[in-house]
Amino acid sequence: MIEIHDLSYKYPGSKVNALHDINVKLPPEHVFAILGHSGSGKTTLLNCIAQFLRPTIGKVTIDGQNIATIDKKTIHSIVGVVFQKLNLFPHLTVMKNMTLAPINALGIPEKQAQKSAMEMLEKLSIADLAQRYPLQISGGQAQRVAIARALMLQPRYMLLDEPTSALDSQTTSDFAEWLTELQEETCFIIVTHDLPFAQQVASHGIFLQDGVMKTEGNIQEIIDQQTASV
Amino acid sequence: MFIMCYKKWTIYFLFFLSLTTSFTEKIYAQDRQPSMRVALTGKYPPFSYYDKDGELAGFDVDISREIGKYLNRDVEIIAAEWDGILAGLLANKYDAIIGSMAITPERAKAVNFSLPYYQSGAQLFVHRDNPSKIYGINECNDKKIAAVLGETYQRYLDEKYPNIDVVTLKSSVEIFELLEAKRIQGFVSDRLVGSWQIKSADRPFVPVGPMLYAEDIAIPVRKQDKKLLEQINNALMQMRSDGTMQKIHDKYFGLSSKTADIGSQMSQSVIIKKLAKGFIVTLSIAFASLLIGFVLAIPCGLILNQSTGKWKLLYWPVRTIIDFLRGTPVLIQLLFAWMGLGLSPYVAAIGTLGINSMAYMAEVIRSGLMSVDPGQTRAGRALNLSKVQIFRFVVWPQAFRVAIPSIMNSIVALTKDTALVAVISVAEVIREAQAIISVTFEPSKYYFIVAVMFFVITFPLMKMAGVLEKKIRQKGFVQ
Ligand SMILES: Nc1ncnc2c1ncn2[C@@H]1O[C@H](COP(=O)(O)OP(=O)(O)OP(=O)(O)O)[C@@H](O)[C@H]1O
Ligand SMILES: [Mg+2]
Repeated sequence: MIEIHDLSYKYPGSKVNALHDINVKLPPEHVFAILGHSGSGKTTLLNCIAQFLRPTIGKVTIDGQNIATIDKKTIHSIVGVVFQKLNLFPHLTVMKNMTLAPINALGIPEKQAQKSAMEMLEKLSIADLAQRYPLQISGGQAQRVAIARALMLQPRYMLLDEPTSALDSQTTSDFAEWLTELQEETCFIIVTHDLPFAQQVASHGIFLQDGVMKTEGNIQEIIDQQTASV
Repeated sequence: MFIMCYKKWTIYFLFFLSLTTSFTEKIYAQDRQPSMRVALTGKYPPFSYYDKDGELAGFDVDISREIGKYLNRDVEIIAAEWDGILAGLLANKYDAIIGSMAITPERAKAVNFSLPYYQSGAQLFVHRDNPSKIYGINECNDKKIAAVLGETYQRYLDEKYPNIDVVTLKSSVEIFELLEAKRIQGFVSDRLVGSWQIKSADRPFVPVGPMLYAEDIAIPVRKQDKKLLEQINNALMQMRSDGTMQKIHDKYFGLSSKTADIGSQMSQSVIIKKLAKGFIVTLSIAFASLLIGFVLAIPCGLILNQSTGKWKLLYWPVRTIIDFLRGTPVLIQLLFAWMGLGLSPYVAAIGTLGINSMAYMAEVIRSGLMSVDPGQTRAGRALNLSKVQIFRFVVWPQAFRVAIPSIMNSIVALTKDTALVAVISVAEVIREAQAIISVTFEPSKYYFIVAVMFFVITFPLMKMAGVLEKKIRQKGFVQ
């Protein structure tokens, strides 16, 4: 279980806190949603959880262990990340994008890595894209490749930043569907401002506003509260 | 892969080196004493020139060999540029200059001169047609009169005849061409050389007026080499008394001169061989420099890309060195390495050009690295890759692809820059061409051939740079 304790974050040179005194438990058995308007601090919170930013105050723990004390080399096989911008490697094929980390970071033999990458691609029904380059596939396909790439390390938790930003409504609901399937192996934390999508996939979540946690709990309640306040 | 290439290449290069050092010829195989290293230009026929086999020959060469016999020492003849020939002596590149050097008080301050081994004088020559009606030096006011850069005639004319428009050129061959085309009105040169040239190359020039002054031609050695000076003087006196000197003199300037038209004697095959040999040296130097440059440019480019962080202590030193290299003439750097640091010509050439290409390529690599989205590094970290792995598999391949067209352009620039190393007496293609021209008197032909040789190498590289740039753009690495 990921727990966030009294967390505040201030960007260097900035006067105000981008995040202020966040306290929340992320139960592992559900898809968890971090909601909020643009600029509310969602990406900042995700970066604090993924160790890309060090909290100014407070800490993040995984199963009781402070995340800052976990070896930098292994942290990302516990917490996987897919960025808002995806950051696929443009000079490598989809297959190479997926096998680079397993081969080099985990030391898995190439053949075996390719085999499990192929299985992963089949599961996401994009197996035919294996030999294409990232610039030769669509935004929605790239999104799936980025998630597949992160899943290759079999992380227990997976952080997704705005995973539906490049998808139309049809692919979004397809995506919601297989996310529910994948959820058995990996626990997803999804940053999004797409409330209907959140409603579809997540059971719990928080709502951020100007760096402060406005509400926490059942996703339906949060959404009702939000629509009421508008 | 690079290491392997490098090893293989080193062997090739050493092989080329051993081929090309034949311009320093060794006479007398006995190794009694260290051989005497003698410098001359090889471009001052009939005193020094390349014969039909491409070997150094001439009056000065014969004198050097004879002196070697009297001294019981091997003689190693080194071709050097006239501009820096004294500096080379002082820098211990050779032991004596037997290159028709006149005694002047100024030179005598820096070196000791032997007894004169011949006397000549400054003579004004004009075109046979004499369109400007010049019959003596006093009629040359406002006329274009040429002299070789760095020779005594230039200073003499400047001081004594300030109204003459003195044109200085790098070699007598160039002067002859200009006068033949009547683009200058005359030239002042050695009386013997001028007369010999007119006769042997069938040039339409005539001497006019009396000799401007007589000059004593002697052999300079370093001030501290007192013993060598004494030995040379003894040899010269013996050569004069036993008739050797006269024999050599007659061979070149006597009435029954047998070497009269050496000019047209260099055979086609020798010319081709010389050019090919020179071009191999040129390419070897370019290749070695590029290899050194590229290998050094990668860490430098990395350091330049990070003005903050772990490597920031190295940033300013590297930045300063690279700016200095890019902001100073390569020619000065070459001369500094050769004369200043006393490196051998080949080491100086490869070292200087290598470090120079490092400076340019480091900038190219830096901008390549800068063009890679920082998100790529983050993605690498998110995938648990180590810093080295991120650089090797993610950042570098992208940066390199972006940098390739500019790297190709650096290669082209460096290949052209090798032309400069002729100045520090590396026997590359331009120097070989100059040697050929000094006996064939066809500068336009041979300089054009050399230009084409360079172009054959650089043109495909330039085209390739263009094609790769387009490809890389298509692949979307660059916006
Ligand atoms: N590197 C930075 N330096 C300073 N301020 C930053 C930096 N990155 C983000 N901020 C600020 O911190 C606040 C929170 O930004 P954050 O990126 O977390 O928002 P977000 O909720 O992810 O927004 P969006 O939905 O648009 O992605 C914003 O006010 C933003 O301007
Ligand atoms: Mg964001």
